[in-house]
Amino acid sequence: MKEIMAVIRMNKMNQTKQALSDAGISSFNARPAFGRGKGNVDFRILKGAEQGHEEAIAQLGAGIKLIPKRMLTVVVPDDKASLVVQTIIKVNQAGRPGDGKIFVMPCEDAVRVRTGELGDQAIDEVI
Amino acid sequence: MIMIRAIVRPERSDAVLAALMEAGFPAVTKCHVYGRGKQRGLKVGDVTYDELPKELLYVCVPRRDKDFVIQTIIQAARTGTRGAFGDGKIFVTAVEEVYTVSSGVREGVKETAAAPVLM
Repeated sequence: MKEIMAVIRMNKMNQTKQALSDAGISSFNARPAFGRGKGNVDFRILKGAEQGHEEAIAQLGAGIKLIPKRMLTVVVPDDKASLVVQTIIKVNQAGRPGDGKIFVMPCEDAVRVRTGELGDQAIDEVI
Repeated sequence: MIMIRAIVRPERSDAVLAALMEAGFPAVTKCHVYGRGKQRGLKVGDVTYDELPKELLYVCVPRRDKDFVIQTIIQAARTGTRGAFGDGKIFVTAVEEVYTVSSGVREGVKETAAAPVLM
């Protein structure tokens, strides 16, 4: 079993849902999240602010800038992991920084609470 | 790669984010969560608060940077001189594959070995 955690743009949520259900993966978990990547930070401004240049501090603004994102968690059998990854990439790829990241992690076990089934049986079948 | 999930105090999360940025690990995802620890929440008089607000930070880093990032988070998240109950927990899990959506490239593998992704 694999747990796929994807951080994507807020406004791509509906298309991603549609694409995943078209691909036969109907069950997943989504939640709002905030984040930043490596592309959105200008280290020159950061360094300038550290040295106390006023222009740099003004550009940084107050507080830490995090961008609202949507976090998806999908648990699928091993052989479906690449299908999910490719589906998410295909829908969300705009070619710009901020499109998101996908992490594939091993998942030890899953339990269906209703019946107590374990493992692959607990995951919804891919239709 | 490994995924470090850190549960920290909401008021310390900005400090942790700043410390991570300074340490050279800008990429992070943050979620607002509620939880309790083994102290079973906070007890104030007769009232027990067992759903305390916390921030959950996700940081994905190379395996060799694990200890450094964990120490960075701990130093920034700790309150008082010796730490206090409720400062948080850090969990580390393995990450097998990382993809960047904008380029469709799998991270952590050599440029030549990167599988082209269908458009």
